[in-house]
Amino acid sequence: MTYSLNEIEAMGKRAARGVGLNWGLAEEAGKAARWLSAHNLGGAEALAETLTRIDGTSYDDVAPVSDEGTWHAPEGPLCPLMAGPALSDRAREIVDGQSYALGETLNPLLLAPYLASAAKLGQGAVELTWDGASITITPEGLSATGDQLTTSQASAVQCRFINATATVTPAANTGCDIDEQAWNQLAEFMTRYLAPDTEESRLAGAGAGLSDND
Amino acid sequence: MNDTLNSPVTQRSPDIVMKLDRLGSMHQCRLSFMRTLLRRMKTEGWTFERPLFDFDEKGVGVAVYSATGPERTYSLVCFGHDLPAEQRSDRVIAHAWDSTFTLFDGVPSQADIDRLQQNVPKQEAGRVSHREISVSRANRSVRLFDHVVESLASGKQPDLEKCKAIGYLMRTTAVYGSGKLGAADRELIADRPEVTGPFQAEMLSVYLTRAYTLDLVEHIARRRSPETAVTIDPGLRRLFGVGNSTGLGLAPFVIHHPTLLNNWIAAREEALRRVCAIETASSAERETFAHMLARTHANTETWHSEHPAQVEKLKNLTSDLALLDERIASGALEEDTPWLRLYQWAEQTLSLEGQEQLVSLMLEPYGELVDELSDTMSADEGQSFAIDGAMSLEQLRGILETDYGWALEIDWDRAENQARVWYVSAEKLEPRIGERFEEPIAPYEQPLAPGRDAKSLHSDLKDWEGKGTVASFLLRHPEHRHVVRRAQITRQFPYAEIRDNTISQELLPIDMLRFKLAFFGATHFDPRSDRWVRINMFQNAPFPSELDTCANDDWAYPHVPEKQS
Repeated sequence: MTYSLNEIEAMGKRAARGVGLNWGLAEEAGKAARWLSAHNLGGAEALAETLTRIDGTSYDDVAPVSDEGTWHAPEGPLCPLMAGPALSDRAREIVDGQSYALGETLNPLLLAPYLASAAKLGQGAVELTWDGASITITPEGLSATGDQLTTSQASAVQCRFINATATVTPAANTGCDIDEQAWNQLAEFMTRYLAPDTEESRLAGAGAGLSDND
Repeated sequence: MNDTLNSPVTQRSPDIVMKLDRLGSMHQCRLSFMRTLLRRMKTEGWTFERPLFDFDEKGVGVAVYSATGPERTYSLVCFGHDLPAEQRSDRVIAHAWDSTFTLFDGVPSQADIDRLQQNVPKQEAGRVSHREISVSRANRSVRLFDHVVESLASGKQPDLEKCKAIGYLMRTTAVYGSGKLGAADRELIADRPEVTGPFQAEMLSVYLTRAYTLDLVEHIARRRSPETAVTIDPGLRRLFGVGNSTGLGLAPFVIHHPTLLNNWIAAREEALRRVCAIETASSAERETFAHMLARTHANTETWHSEHPAQVEKLKNLTSDLALLDERIASGALEEDTPWLRLYQWAEQTLSLEGQEQLVSLMLEPYGELVDELSDTMSADEGQSFAIDGAMSLEQLRGILETDYGWALEIDWDRAENQARVWYVSAEKLEPRIGERFEEPIAPYEQPLAPGRDAKSLHSDLKDWEGKGTVASFLLRHPEHRHVVRRAQITRQFPYAEIRDNTISQELLPIDMLRFKLAFFGATHFDPRSDRWVRINMFQNAPFPSELDTCANDDWAYPHVPEKQS
């Protein structure tokens, strides 16, 4: 089915929150899904897959231990929903020429949206690569090549600012076809963030009382 | 910024403006979205058509209302239903309505109408496409709709007092835009001048809905009794606006959209500042003000509420207006910097209702000075979303101590200061508010308490003395990302944050609804509880067929009979 970008973002945020991400990270996960979907790169699908993989873990299990050297989680792969925000926070360093290397990372495609802020800040291109895939992000859009773009896990990922122009495709704003299974998975995660209905909350919680008619 | 307006005139401080009791006392003004829409359509000479109107005697059928501007046409597609009385509910959890609507981008073909007929009546359970811009629904006023049908069918005009007391035939209960249910995302239309401003498409849909409700009531009367039926007198017709019934859904919106909130408030505050900086008021300007003040009395007289809080506020407003009359009669507007002095007097003398009513009134004579500010009221929220990780923790601490001082002073450990929880119900995602210490809802809490979060951030920053950056802090404290983003936005946009406790035992959620609805241009706020409010929209406005001949932007306050000289 076709969903609007706003629906994808809202669902992504709620699903991420349902899996246990804090609100700030969940907001960013929703935005990331939206951004990839606007570029027709399967944002909702990538998010559903990643959330399924990290379901039951905590932030410290899948976030970078430190921002020194090659980034890695304590054990197992990094989650892009934790590493991505950390890269976004380092947009100034990226523009100033600092390159970042990440070890094993789930769905590295989900890192791309978080680099858009560096591209905008530096008014240039950020290059994100892993084995079999290369993405260039500019303020105007992105170009993505390689047969491993949607891989569920990469063994090493690099990103850096490049002083070059790139031919990119801008985002489209006419909504996006989403794989039904992925959407249902997100919807299932979302239900965990919703308060179960009770008769009491039904009556009092919205404030309409017994009769809202006139 | 000063605490109050002073010379040289500055904007009012957010510490004054962004308090819930003041926000909950705001009124419509020249910058309200309904007025902006009608000014634009009038100036640009929009034309209106009703290419389809096909209903039976119960009001079941379909209509299309088209509005055409310089470049594009938008059409409201209306579906009328036969709703059993026991199913009529204004709440989000309702499943059926008297009428359902969508605003279509262009003029719909029969195939479009067929597709929409399969979906729009189901509202949240249906799907629309990027050709649709909004989806909405409305219920009849049980008190008035049948009375008007019966009166007209029997050849009589409806009872004037009854019409005045209610003021609408139907209430909208939700108007969804921005990509909801598969509709067009805002990005798709945001570069069109006619819908760049906030909620312009939604307001257009409500404006056309109003015309539909009047046409429908007359049509049903005619079908019931073709021999005797009459139409509503033109003089009475304008009394009918569109009602709206609003629950908690609007309240989270104003917290979730801080830059948008800032831009609305900042535009109104800048308008006030400009007027206060005026050296002298001309006699024409004084006359306009006096005229609008008289019309404000008329508005207040027809504004009814049974809610104790609003009854008290209306009583205060009435006496405030009398004080204002006296002040004006004493020649207050003939002094130098008359508006600044008048505002300063009001701040010392009037209730918040009266002060904010005065702010709205002071803008009335100065359309040329302030109307352009409506162009600054939309927001590109994506521009301020990314956290600036390079910011020093010292600077972040400074923002908290300057812009969140009000929050740092609150003892958040006290139960009464965190008594409430905002949450979303599993049933149709209805936004609700509950009692933290009485219901098991805390795990589902929405992020709608920026003050509490700011205090918690400030506290954790104490362990990070020295030269750290926001990026290094957040890697270890990701739980603060949400409020760090807000704090950085507030540094740039001073009116972005409600500077009050939004989870206190004392909270009146209607305060949050009130100011948003005032920005829409609503009147006659009538709270039904502390979290539910009814309003009237477009009451007294010209109908589409009258727009090109009526005076520009002269409807938001009811007309009063001219004084005999």
